[in-house]
Amino acid sequence: MNAITKPDRVAVNPITVEVIGSALSSITEEMGEALVRASHSTNIKERRDCSTALFDPAGTTLCQAEHIPMHLGSFIDMLPHILKRHPVEEMRPGDVFVGNDAYEGGGTHLPDIVLAEPIFDGDAIVAWAVNTAHHADFADRGHAHIFQEGLRIPPIRLYRAGQLQQDVQDLILLNCQVPRERLSDLRAQMAANRLGVLRMQALCAKYGRDVVLAAGEALQDYAERKMRAGIAAIPDGTYRFSDVYENPEIDGDLPMSCEITVSGDRMHLHFEAPPQVRAGLNMTRTALLATVYYAVKCLVDPTILPNAGQSRPLEVTAAEGTVVNCSFPAAVNGRCSTCQRVVDLIFGALAQAVPDRVIAATNGANTSITFSGSTPEGAPWIYLETVGGGSGARAGKDGLDGVQVHMTNTSNLPAEALETEYPLKLLRYELVDGSGGAGQFRGGMALRRVYRAEAACRVRIDSSRLRSAPWGLGGGADGSRAVIESGNLPYDHGTVLMQPGQVLSMLTAGAGGYGPPARRDPAMVARDVAEGRISREAAKAAYPQATLGT
Amino acid sequence: MAWRIGVDSGGTFCDICLFDEDSGQVAVWKVSSTPDDPSRGIAQGVGEGVGNVGAQASAIGYFGHGTTVGTNALIQHRGVPTGLITTDGFRDLLEIGRQKRPELYDLQADKPPVLVSRDLRFGVAERVHHDGTVEVALDEQALRAAARKLKEAGVEAVAICFLYGFVRPEHEAQAARIVAEEMPGTFVSVGHQVAPEFREFERVSTAVVNAYLGPVMQGYIQRLAGRLSDLGVGAAPHLTQSNGGVIGFEQAARLPVRTVLSGPSTGVVAAQELGRMVGMPDLITFDMGGTSTDVALLKDGSCRMAGEATVHGYPIKAPMLDIHTVGAGGGSIAYVDSGGLLKVGPRSAGAFPGPVCYDQGNHEPTTTDANVVLQTLNPTHLLGGRMAVRQDLAKQAIGRLAETLKLDLMETAQGIISVVTANMAKAIRVISVQRGHDPRDYTLVAFGGAGPLHAARLARELEIRRILVPRNPGILCAMGLLLTDLRADFAATRLMQLEPAAAPAIEAAFTVLSARAQEWFAEEHIPADRQASLRTVDMRYAGQNYELPVELPPGPVTAASLKALADGFAEAHRRQYGFADPDGTVQLVTFRLEATGRVAKARFAPQPDAGPDASAAIIGSREVWMPEAGGWTSCPLYDRELLKAGNRIQGPAIVEQMDATTVLLPGMTATVEPYLNLVLEFAA
Repeated sequence: MNAITKPDRVAVNPITVEVIGSALSSITEEMGEALVRASHSTNIKERRDCSTALFDPAGTTLCQAEHIPMHLGSFIDMLPHILKRHPVEEMRPGDVFVGNDAYEGGGTHLPDIVLAEPIFDGDAIVAWAVNTAHHADFADRGHAHIFQEGLRIPPIRLYRAGQLQQDVQDLILLNCQVPRERLSDLRAQMAANRLGVLRMQALCAKYGRDVVLAAGEALQDYAERKMRAGIAAIPDGTYRFSDVYENPEIDGDLPMSCEITVSGDRMHLHFEAPPQVRAGLNMTRTALLATVYYAVKCLVDPTILPNAGQSRPLEVTAAEGTVVNCSFPAAVNGRCSTCQRVVDLIFGALAQAVPDRVIAATNGANTSITFSGSTPEGAPWIYLETVGGGSGARAGKDGLDGVQVHMTNTSNLPAEALETEYPLKLLRYELVDGSGGAGQFRGGMALRRVYRAEAACRVRIDSSRLRSAPWGLGGGADGSRAVIESGNLPYDHGTVLMQPGQVLSMLTAGAGGYGPPARRDPAMVARDVAEGRISREAAKAAYPQATLGT
Repeated sequence: MAWRIGVDSGGTFCDICLFDEDSGQVAVWKVSSTPDDPSRGIAQGVGEGVGNVGAQASAIGYFGHGTTVGTNALIQHRGVPTGLITTDGFRDLLEIGRQKRPELYDLQADKPPVLVSRDLRFGVAERVHHDGTVEVALDEQALRAAARKLKEAGVEAVAICFLYGFVRPEHEAQAARIVAEEMPGTFVSVGHQVAPEFREFERVSTAVVNAYLGPVMQGYIQRLAGRLSDLGVGAAPHLTQSNGGVIGFEQAARLPVRTVLSGPSTGVVAAQELGRMVGMPDLITFDMGGTSTDVALLKDGSCRMAGEATVHGYPIKAPMLDIHTVGAGGGSIAYVDSGGLLKVGPRSAGAFPGPVCYDQGNHEPTTTDANVVLQTLNPTHLLGGRMAVRQDLAKQAIGRLAETLKLDLMETAQGIISVVTANMAKAIRVISVQRGHDPRDYTLVAFGGAGPLHAARLARELEIRRILVPRNPGILCAMGLLLTDLRADFAATRLMQLEPAAAPAIEAAFTVLSARAQEWFAEEHIPADRQASLRTVDMRYAGQNYELPVELPPGPVTAASLKALADGFAEAHRRQYGFADPDGTVQLVTFRLEATGRVAKARFAPQPDAGPDASAAIIGSREVWMPEAGGWTSCPLYDRELLKAGNRIQGPAIVEQMDATTVLLPGMTATVEPYLNLVLEFAA
């Protein structure tokens, strides 16, 4: 019993496939909503730093809810590792596996804890309900190697046939700084998977297991066909691009490059980067894959279903042990900003092939700020937030101002929630004037967030584009660089100590412009000046064609 | 003073329903809308409608109205030039929102336009903290300067919204006074009055939408009130709010943001009253029109109230019925995408050029074309013969799709219906299963032009066993207005723990809300015996940020009522998320009081039972494509006007009436109940 079922491929017509496809996406969305609403940590309940998905019995993605593209990296390897480690014959309804490790399965960094539950229809597994939530914990740790970054959890049972494995949970919680919040969020993750199990079983009861499984495969074939059709529309050729990556953790810049070969309906992406470093910026192979899938989907066809079929026409290579394809025991906590640069590389290369679809460089980071301290009673508190910035100008439109880009799409935390829950005050939250790169179409504007500490705390800032600038395209100018304004505060490689009353500002990067500034519509320049998005002086210098008064 | 009149004014038609309280007579009247100024069409329709039944406008005792004026102004961005005054450092919040991009993968997607341009948004120095302490007093000079600049810029409305204005409203009140001094006659929308709840972006967005629509709604209401009084209508007119209750015109003009969903909520209220009349309190409404479909769920006769929703891209914090809208209707266009799958909508052929079969220049097949090919819709004419249709053109258009899909014509036409049905089912899952309700426990109420046509297959998809098709599906909303109570919602956010010591604070919070409700009862002249109040508390576990509403039993707040809150919350949490946390600290967040003024309602008279034989209503038969019966199936054709109470129809069958067609699948039966509504049931 309990064998993975591989159905004889029943013929399912395209209409049933479409109907089951909408049911799958509605299930993953519903799981996501339950996770957010039942959770306790600000990072999930307000910032929605979590994702949900369904997998087929073989461990490939059936459907991922549209939350955070980065999280696909956590999902890709979870099931293969579970299946490698645990015999399917021993799995029972109500088993729930937990994992977060970047090398043993379940994660691209340790705070993303994955829960996976097999969905049984009768005595056979028909699918898996899986979700990941970014637990804002493991703060104020080292990042020389992964052992410093938090507790490593291989995929193991947190529940066995519906019974909580208290020992496992106790071990996990003891290693967390804010255990009560972790426990509540884990329960919310359980609630999400529980819904996934119920809904998927109902779907099998209605259509029959074989039809659902066959439709799942057909949906993957469908995603593959769309991906191939999209790639085929890109001119054949080899396209190269290089850039640098830097962040506050390291001194100096890391050169990175990619080479993309498009031939017919296939695409090969090859990346070059320096050897992995003793810092949290390394990317696992799964993080690289999630990044490539995201970037190619955006350029090829944004409507392609988020399942494993989309990856079939793509070949991704990078030398092992490098920053973009790291090996054990490299530290990986801040991999998301590095992933953002990999998207820039892919866009930069493909701008030569499909200039109208690509956007100029975005703010190029997943700027994250972690505040940690102790309550007057001595209990640790941790607050994590990520700050958006400019999004690149497009062929035909300005870039979006002040948004999350590419691999992430988390919400901000309302000041009224932030200040109620933590000893912090938010003094300003605004667009940065003059930060969007000039161009026929202007790059998106950066964000400024100004914090005041009300109690002593330690702050860790992860960002990028502090030294390099987000590039423009087709003659568009660069966007502004990111700036950490820590004044006289003690500052070391992104770590700052704040005392009550002290103030810290984070200015993320703007984004690159698109097309020569001289071609910008003078009325749009005048509008930007009237709205203060660019100063009159800067406008006069960048856009001589505009007639602006004094 | 015997006539009650309901007017539902939409994009295409203005429906008028008249009811004679003395005789029980019901009359309906339909005129074309006048979108440039809907009050014109309404006045014309009311005049004609009243004339038609031989009555005088002065004989109208009640006037109820549902409108899409607010929704349309928001969709089409036809509000007034608006200014915003907020806390220094936060003027861009309106634009930044929650910093999320609008679409995850589509690089070309844009956010909805910001309703106040950046040069009309002013930050003014002032700062209040979450505990209500003031760190920085309001800079009155700066505020006055901002107001002068806004005046110079010619804004017609100003939103004022500061951080924590809902905790300590003094700064906002002070600012409102100064703005009124500097800009007399300008519409002012103040955060703590419009939405006294936490989360600053959503609150500022609500205050801005309120300001942006304010003068539009005020102008509309004034014009309509003027035209009605010119006609000689003496009764005070009432408007449906997004919460489904009606409210006096004067009140509505003060908080226009609360009437944004006036149109769709009228449909929900109508279905609610219909359910009450026929004794079916658990309903899922299915209001399918030409371009979109609204669905909602009613449990025990009431629809869940959402405290917040995103309406046409703009977050609004206001009591709104939990209505879910999908961009699919009769006019939705079917196509094959690049991966070879069949898709329907959200693009619509609209009323013009409309479906291919209208022969007005559209060549892309729509849902209606599929129905014409399948002959579920009359293949030669629609609207009771007033409109000829071209089935041959519909066949050609669907034939082209069929070639691409490598399916045959009928399979493709049926496929369009299946895809539409799946889209609708997905929408209904959002308001049912996602909220913890099993659709199988509900009756589907099908109305709007296309609802009864698609209801049977939708019900089967969701395993719903019973469908209710109202007597006049096309004008249900207007009729609902004759059945709607006056309704106002009052709320206050006061965070506290659920513990015995909280009882006096809970009592105090509700005392304030009750006093406000009493004022409202007085304004609306609602006598004591027609007043009703329902008290609920939004509750959560400490640490959560989303609450679940729990009802507080009537009477003084005692240990027993606290226990009722605790038990109610645990049960709601278990139903929603599958667990309750016995050790968790429970918080009370928002106290709500729903005040209802019961109005004398139209009473419809039940008809005598004429027996099950419906053969007198058969007007012919038609071959209809029903894969359920193996393909072309001969279906008897019934005229809805000829059906009598007690009549029974066995499916497969088609029931036609002027503005709707009802499909019965094989194995289904339909019964005409005493109020002439059709009740469709699947064989057990």
